[in-house]
Amino acid sequence: MCSAHGAVRVLLGEIVGSEERPTIVDIEAGLEHLSRGTARNVDTLLAVLEPYYKSMETAARITELAHELGIPNVYCVANKVRSEDDGKALREFASQRNMNVIASIPDDVTMGKADRAGVAPLDFDASSPAVRAISDLAAHLHRS
Amino acid sequence: MKIAIAGKGGSGKTTIAGTLARVLARSTGHGVLAIDADSNPNLGVTLGLTRDEVSRLRPLDRSIVERIPDGEGKTKAVLARPAAEIVREYSTMTRDDVALLLMGRVEHAGAG
Repeated sequence: MCSAHGAVRVLLGEIVGSEERPTIVDIEAGLEHLSRGTARNVDTLLAVLEPYYKSMETAARITELAHELGIPNVYCVANKVRSEDDGKALREFASQRNMNVIASIPDDVTMGKADRAGVAPLDFDASSPAVRAISDLAAHLHRS
Repeated sequence: MKIAIAGKGGSGKTTIAGTLARVLARSTGHGVLAIDADSNPNLGVTLGLTRDEVSRLRPLDRSIVERIPDGEGKTKAVLARPAAEIVREYSTMTRDDVALLLMGRVEHAGAG
């Protein structure tokens, strides 16, 4: 057991658990680093997926693990959706794998521009399609 | 509301995490804590910090870890101080009342 990683996991769970503000944790690519301690302290897991096979597979695996860890709300967020075909492929995949897709964020050139400018998307263009879709997602999570 | 965001590298999860944190902070008015636990920490930029500011962030370090006997002849890691105190000390205020905490790597804390 790597004690350095073990320590990080223990601490993350305790810090999240004792925080009074709403908390968002950007974790490693998969769920390998999400300990049971951390999982016990989050109420929602969002698995971000793009409309291509490997990304959808990864999200499916994350979704399964999150359910095994007992996280109450496990949702998927589709990102960089380019077309109605993309959306359809995602929905078909999700329905076969018991994945609940609650948001679809369009592919948006503004995001790349903001990244190259080193500026937050929200400050670069708050009315861009992707930022608006993320705002809708926030409203959805806030309501539920 | 405690949300973890995962996804394949390059999926845009960090952009979503950062933007979500700020939008939630604006709508709730209570502030939000954003934790960057990725090994390639980049959440700060989507929260509105410059790359220069991100490079100067102070990640959590080994001083927050204490190892105590677990009662079975081994040790376990616990927080050396109250969590709230650690968050106050290590987090950086960004835009929209979002505080950013960088997990970093607690390298070799109590290793061996």
